[in-house]
Amino acid sequence: MEIKEKFRELSEEKEGAYMAHIYYGDPNEEFSLSQIETLVKHGADFIEFGIPFSDPTADGAIFQAACERALRNGITPPKCIQGIKKLRENLDVPIIVTTYYNIPYIAGVKAFLSGIKEAGAQGIIVPDVSLEEANPLLDAGREVGIHVIFQVTPLTTEARIRRIAAAASGFLYVVNVEGVTGARESLADSTLKLVNRVRKHSDIPIMAGFGISKKEHAAAVVSAGADGVITGSALGEIYQKNLENPEETLPKIARFARQIKQGCIEGYIRRLNAQNISYEEV
Amino acid sequence: MVKSKRLYEQQRLPDKRGYFGKYGGQFVNEILMPVLIELDENFDRYYPTSEFQEEFHRLQRDYGGRPTPLYYAKNFSKFIGSKVYLKREDLLCGGSHKLNNALGQALLAKKMGKSRLITETSAGQHGFATAMAGRVLGLEVEIFMGIKDIARQASNVKRMKLLGAKITPVKTGAGVLKDAVSDTLREWTSCSRTTHYLMGSTVGPHPFPKIVAAFQSVIGKELKNQILEKEGRLPDAIIACGSGGSNAIGAFSSFIDDNRVRLYFIEGGGGSLDADNSAAAFQLGKPGILHGALMQVLQDEYGQIKSSKTRAAGLNYPGRGPQICYLYDTGRMKVGYAFDEEVFEAVKVMCQTEGLIPALETAHAIAYMLNHKEEFYGDEVIVLNYSGRGDKDLEVITRRFYGD
Repeated sequence: MEIKEKFRELSEEKEGAYMAHIYYGDPNEEFSLSQIETLVKHGADFIEFGIPFSDPTADGAIFQAACERALRNGITPPKCIQGIKKLRENLDVPIIVTTYYNIPYIAGVKAFLSGIKEAGAQGIIVPDVSLEEANPLLDAGREVGIHVIFQVTPLTTEARIRRIAAAASGFLYVVNVEGVTGARESLADSTLKLVNRVRKHSDIPIMAGFGISKKEHAAAVVSAGADGVITGSALGEIYQKNLENPEETLPKIARFARQIKQGCIEGYIRRLNAQNISYEEV
Repeated sequence: MVKSKRLYEQQRLPDKRGYFGKYGGQFVNEILMPVLIELDENFDRYYPTSEFQEEFHRLQRDYGGRPTPLYYAKNFSKFIGSKVYLKREDLLCGGSHKLNNALGQALLAKKMGKSRLITETSAGQHGFATAMAGRVLGLEVEIFMGIKDIARQASNVKRMKLLGAKITPVKTGAGVLKDAVSDTLREWTSCSRTTHYLMGSTVGPHPFPKIVAAFQSVIGKELKNQILEKEGRLPDAIIACGSGGSNAIGAFSSFIDDNRVRLYFIEGGGGSLDADNSAAAFQLGKPGILHGALMQVLQDEYGQIKSSKTRAAGLNYPGRGPQICYLYDTGRMKVGYAFDEEVFEAVKVMCQTEGLIPALETAHAIAYMLNHKEEFYGDEVIVLNYSGRGDKDLEVITRRFYGD
């Protein structure tokens, strides 16, 4: 399913979007496949499909360990692309690939994007590609039909937000805390400000990530104007406690996904109500 | 040859985007972009001012002990068969060239209003230099160090702690420099408003390779004056060890435009020339992106970065800095390597001929000269950048020669 179509569907249903980020192959491919199935069944609208990299400098400890384990257990980019193909046999939600730039660079950027496109992915996030270095990725993405997702942070200046919003397609990934991925107990106020700053420049859908681990976080962020939320390391934390038998954690993962999705729905309704009130006031 | 000279002068590398030819750039998360732009602007604002230059030179001279001597190593020269000078960076306070860059960046950080320095270290020389610079300029210091390196470089760990630096062990990956750099980058994303990442070598995203090269260029400037004074002419060759390349770039800086001076860069050969047992990225690597820059890097067929291996912790990095890569690609600089075994032999030779204990890193350049005497002719003047002293390696060296 195309990204745009998914956002349209969600707004008709009056729901915020939930994207779940995993690293494929941690601790093995079978678990990743059933984890993704579980997540989608229980509320995930998008899958952020991580292709492990040896030096994931924008990831926190949980995902660093995930990458290390997956690589130790023999995962490779071609196996990941096969995994996307397998998922596509009975999975309809958009798949956004995340990996570090050396992986597509070595494969050839266009060849890599063609590969994930053919396998069934809709977009790509490359956290170590700044706007300044993004042209090869953007060119290949346009040619092949893969959306290049950019990130915006509280430190990003107005001028950069404008330029990033102009280059972005699919959606914008708003990083709502100063820091790398890692579950936080409370959301920074800067999230709300940041969503508003982006909105001044673009109507592109906004997904807020980094540090979302609770229903309340998701509700707060969506009610503030984000179109959806991304969870990452909080999921990793659940199954990493039982790496011998990670399947046993699937019920917990299902519950987590339902809660985040519930937050996305509640947040959306809260936002609609707030809008209605302000319309009435007018 | 003349053409190549013009190439360097006209391009004034790096370009605005931080590229040396195809190498370099800013491959970082958006969180770091604003702080890199801020750093670049502030470097260009402060570095050229006479106020900054005076303060920097005063620190280098009165605190660091510059200029370092250029020593004619008569006994060692006999061994080689040509006239060899040692640029004595081992005599800079702290025992290596690292203090040049640490003082410069700490001063810059202070001008920028930062209150804290973070960095990584492997041999401990850069960490120690940062701890010194932080103390003397009143900035808090935290140092990330791989657990393997903490064990290997115990004396430098003690020295850093004595200066009040916080040492944070890095357990991820192989627990070596590559992993420590990753962790320092992660830390920086969470605290860049108040904290400066004091990059230790000519690596990382732009503007770091440019900044570190500028602060290390003092080595080449002094060297040029000293050799002209002693020999009345330029050297025929300059030889330096390296991984990121800061001591080499520093020593080469005043000679890059002059093709009459041959430049040699010696990397860590490790145990043998295979990718799992070496740090020789020019022999075994290919262009790739690591820690913010496009450079020659050890990696597998899929682009996963490999951990380098060498007994010299300071050369144990899988990437070569962008400028070093460019000098190699354009043919301006010759690249060699030395194996661990040869390096220990080189330590012995330097001890016996000149009574100097070189750092294992520095001993790579010495080993290359010993093993390639045919490349240096009898009437030639060669400068070896003697980047550091071997006190930190004493245990490893003595264990190698005398056992436990």
